[in-house]
Amino acid sequence: MEASEPKAIEVTDLTVAYQDKPVLWDIDLDVPPGVLLAIVGPNGAGKTTLIKAVLGLVRPAAGNVLIYDKPYEAQRRIVGYVPQRGSVDWDFPTNVLDVVTMGCYGALGWIRRPGRKERELAMQALEQVGMEAYTTRQISQLSGGQQQRVFLARALVQDATVYLMDEPFQGVDATTERAIVTLLQKLRADGKTVVVVHHDLQTVADYFDWVMLLNIRRIASGPVPEVFTSDNLRETYGGRLGFMK
Amino acid sequence: MIHAHLDIQLIAIVTAVACALPGVFLVLRRMTLMSDAISHAILPGIVLAFFLTESLSSPLLILAAAGTGVLTVLFVELLQRTKLVKEDAAIGLTFPALFSIGVILISRFAGNVHLDMDAVLLGELAYAPLNRLKVFGYDLGPVALSVMGGILGLNLVFILLFYKELKLVTFDASLAAALGFAPTLLHYGLMTFVSVTVVGAFDAVGSILVVALIAGPPATAYLMTDKLSRMLILSAIIGSVNAVSGYWVAFLFDVSIAGSIATMTLLIFCFIFLVVPNRGLIAIARRHARQKWEFAQTMLVIHLFNHEGLPEAEAESAIEGLHEHLSWDPSFTNQVVRYALHNRCVSQTETQLTLTERGRAVAQQALVE
Repeated sequence: MEASEPKAIEVTDLTVAYQDKPVLWDIDLDVPPGVLLAIVGPNGAGKTTLIKAVLGLVRPAAGNVLIYDKPYEAQRRIVGYVPQRGSVDWDFPTNVLDVVTMGCYGALGWIRRPGRKERELAMQALEQVGMEAYTTRQISQLSGGQQQRVFLARALVQDATVYLMDEPFQGVDATTERAIVTLLQKLRADGKTVVVVHHDLQTVADYFDWVMLLNIRRIASGPVPEVFTSDNLRETYGGRLGFMK
Repeated sequence: MIHAHLDIQLIAIVTAVACALPGVFLVLRRMTLMSDAISHAILPGIVLAFFLTESLSSPLLILAAAGTGVLTVLFVELLQRTKLVKEDAAIGLTFPALFSIGVILISRFAGNVHLDMDAVLLGELAYAPLNRLKVFGYDLGPVALSVMGGILGLNLVFILLFYKELKLVTFDASLAAALGFAPTLLHYGLMTFVSVTVVGAFDAVGSILVVALIAGPPATAYLMTDKLSRMLILSAIIGSVNAVSGYWVAFLFDVSIAGSIATMTLLIFCFIFLVVPNRGLIAIARRHARQKWEFAQTMLVIHLFNHEGLPEAEAESAIEGLHEHLSWDPSFTNQVVRYALHNRCVSQTETQLTLTERGRAVAQQALVE
């Protein structure tokens, strides 16, 4: 085994519970650097909670998370986060460029304001997601797919090594879906590690090279050809998989 | 009394701006009711501090009251976190109880003290200029003006320093947390400033007006801009306009100043709500009216387009029988025809309507979509 190689993300024995109701039971997950990993599982499987636990947004009842051998608090600057699109108020009085610039806030730290350099970075990120024509658009006037691309641009601005994305394909149009896939593959080609909560089983094999099957406990994780098997899927989803072969 | 006019208006303006600035963040965080809760729940804090200091002007009163305000927020959120009580009910449970404790304390132990209910609810703006700040015999203006000026300064410093952080935590709390910006700390920081503001303003203008000044100007400004920094500036301006106009309404009709300012806050909101471009009621009504005619015109050109060049075309495009074909009211049909003629989508030959190039394009466009 290549035990010496550092893991991009290393989750050990992670349990998260709300009161006495477990949301994640004793999860182990090793994500090697440079993979594109999908987390799949039924509703309520704890996919979002797992991402939030990695980011320190929920407190685990047990277990540990390391990012390149250090706790998240020491690695904030190398982790980019794309929350679920529905988690924010899109009527907030601000425009596209301003939201994308928020990706720089971590690097700026407390009190310092974004300036021209940050706005230029935001512009570059918007170009990468094909949204450069919308910089001054009020965010409530964007379509769902455009909102998602703005969120991705905001994460790109963070210039992270590890990306965690919660349902970036949720409710987006076909054009945006292709744009996101291209972007994810570009990130991987640049040596980034990308973890994506995903709900469309049909596209897992096309889009991703690693997969984690999750249903409160970890069913399996590893390279797609090895792990994405009908046995594992049945175990993850129970009997609700009529459409799979 | 020229001086009193000026003093009262200055106090009202400074109070309005001091309330409007943190109010912007409360409105965006959907927490304006919390200011209502705080403005009532601080009473026991004031009373207890009064028992300790036996003075109504001690700064300890403001601190104790602001502390009670933050405790109120904490208590409401603890109740909410049990998931057994929703936020509105948690607020409804908390602040009347705390307010009542204050009322009971006053009636039991301080019946002879000047702390009456009218003053609590509506303030005593008219008398505020009489209570003056004197240092070494020099008159430095009304006490209320210095207090609210100081609080306004604190709010300005807080918001200018942490503008970026407040914006992020209000828009996307989970990203703020992931980036290490301590949302809970910022939240309670904001709530502390809201409490201090409410306490100071409460003394000058009473608890009803405090809520009006916190919720009204930001809600009005929210209709007018898509930019947070502009929303803050507009809120301050609108708050000042409310204060001054309310004062003169009160003066002209010889009624309560606080009551008039609160009423003007609503009236000015309603006015902006009606006339603001794009999202005001008038703009929306106009847009709907235009859409109605646009749509009718599209139906008309599609009708003509579908029958164009066919044997029945003459019957289908005769102006005379058009309303029967479309099952429209005859006068409505006439108006639509006139609208389409005006837009050059159709042309008229004695009894017949024919599509123009433009009308054909409109029909094709609509059918493709």
